This record gives sequence, C-alpha cells and structure tokens, in this order.
Amino acid sequence: MIDFYQLPVFGILLTVVVFFAARALRSKIKFVLFNPVLVAITLIILFLVVFDIPFEDYNKGGQYLSFFLGPAIVALGVLFYEKYQLIEHNIYPFLLAVGCGGIISIASVSLISIAMHAPDVLIRSLVSMSVTTPIAIEITKITEGIPSLTAGVVIAVGVFGNAFGSGFLRLIGIKSQTAVGTALGTAAHGIGTARAIEIGPLPGAYSGLAMCVNGILTTLISPYVVLWIVGSL
Amino acid sequence: MSPLRSRLQMLKAFLWIFLFLGIGELIRYVSDVPIPGNILGMILIFSALKLKLIQLKDVKPASDQLLKYMVLFFVPYGVGLMSYFDFISAYWMILSVIAVVTTLLTLYITAFVQQKLEKHD
Repeated sequence: MIDFYQLPVFGILLTVVVFFAARALRSKIKFVLFNPVLVAITLIILFLVVFDIPFEDYNKGGQYLSFFLGPAIVALGVLFYEKYQLIEHNIYPFLLAVGCGGIISIASVSLISIAMHAPDVLIRSLVSMSVTTPIAIEITKITEGIPSLTAGVVIAVGVFGNAFGSGFLRLIGIKSQTAVGTALGTAAHGIGTARAIEIGPLPGAYSGLAMCVNGILTTLISPYVVLWIVGSL
Repeated sequence: MSPLRSRLQMLKAFLWIFLFLGIGELIRYVSDVPIPGNILGMILIFSALKLKLIQLKDVKPASDQLLKYMVLFFVPYGVGLMSYFDFISAYWMILSVIAVVTTLLTLYITAFVQQKLEKHD
C-alpha cells in the first residue's frame, strides 16, 4: 500500500491550501516579508521536513502546478499587448533602459561570480536572476543550472526589490515615477511590479512591460554568455 | 451574459492560449531557435493581437486567470530548494552578494537611462 503523501493529489492540495492561507495572512498584515510565495514555500518545506516526506513525493503533485507556468508565460504576451498603448510614445527610451538594465544584470552576475571564484553551476543558475520566475526557470534549463536554485534566488530578489527598490532609487536621486516602474520590472520582475502598481497605474504598466521585455532579452543573451564564460552548455 | 456563455468563452480563451503554446513548442521542436517554446508562444500571441488576427476579448478571460495565479504555479520549484540546503549553506555569502549588488545596479542603471531619455507629455 502506498502512503497518502505519495499520491499526486497530496502535493497539489498542500500547495494550494498553504498558498491561499499565506495570501489571507498577507491581506491581514502588510509586511513585505509576508510575501505569499515566500511564506508558502517556507511553510511547505517545513511541513515536508517535519514529516520526513521526500521532495520527489511532493513533486508528484507539484509538477501539475508547474505545468501551468507554460501557458502563464503565453499570457504575459496578452498582458504586454494590453499595456503597450500606454507607453507607445516612450517606447525607444523604454526599450533602451530595459536593454541597458538587462545587460548590466547579466554582466554583474557573471563578473561577481568570476571574481568570487563561484562554481560554474552558480553562473548557470543565476544568470537569469532578474527575470520573472517562469522564464528564469526556462533559461536555467537551457544553461543547465539548477532550476530550483534559480526559483529561490529570483523570488528573493523580487522580495528585496519590492521592499527596498523604490526607496533606494529615491535616495540616489531618481525622481521620475515611470523610471522607477521600469527599473522595478527590469530588476525585480513580477514581485517588483506589484510594488510599482502600488505607486500608480502608469508605473505599474511600465513595470509589467519591462518584465516581459527583459524576459525575452535575457533568454536571447544569457545562453551565449554562459557558453562564453563556462565554455560548454 | 449567461453563465454558460461565459464559461464557454473561458474555455475558448484557454484553447487559444494552449494553441499558441503548442505552436511555440512546435517551432522550437522543428527548428534550432534558441528560445523556449512558451516564450515563442508569448511573442506569437502578442503579434497575433497586434495584427488583429485574434481579439483581446478572445483570450483575456484565460490570460487574466493565468496571470492572477502565476505565483502559485512556481511554488513547487521554490520548494525544490529543500534538496539544495547543503549547496546554499556552502555558498550563501556569494549568493547574497550577487543578488544584492546585481539588483541595486540593475535598478539604478535602468531608472537612470529611462529618466534621462523619456519624454513627458
């Protein structure tokens, strides 16, 4: 007889229940570390460790949820179309800004990794660090890194950007709210975009679009950067 | 709109999304483009909307739902971190430096370029 936790429904049920509980918690307490994804992941890991359930058993159900990342990426294209008109008059400055930010991100990860003598698998997993989680996971599959490590760091980066991004930019003299939106979307993807939406609908639109554009840009560039630095894919 | 009608439109919208996902994966499968199929699907659905091959209302019911729950879909990958505790405890310092420095640098450069060049009207 197999245990209940080995059925796919266990992983699905655990994830959905904990996620909605974490979301309910967030609506009560507006504290950035109570980000639903962060809380959900932490609680599920704790649960699995406490009851000594292997990740492989959990993921028998978890993989069905992961599957929906594919159509969710396609849905980003629809989001892009919806928001596109709002920024059309500023499209070139916007694309240039996201392009510079995206390239700086890849360069920074690579250079710091080399300077600190990090193992190859770290560059392979982190080169897509600024990009929205589903796209970052796809990139890591191409660069042969560890997708779970990518997901963890990407979510952490998003929470960090959400918490400190706009304050940091104000501190160093950025006054344009739309520039703050673009920066949050480029550096801190969807979780940063959630902060940009709080600033206003227009910064929110810039942020969502920046997230999509940087996703495509990083997909195109990072495999070649990894190939160049590490020497193999 | 009757509930049944809106359900059918939701179903149709999901079929459109999966059609574009399928086309993207197919292109990826038969050619050497170095882009994942789902990202090709994203570019294709944007192009189709822009060229008015499909209408926003055809796909919006499904895309709104998918985006609303996108964060739920990547929770299992995050949970996968539990298999890498040893790796993280060995490299947490490098991981933190890379994440913090890169994020602040990217924020600054992006905001700086956009602020310098954008038009206000």
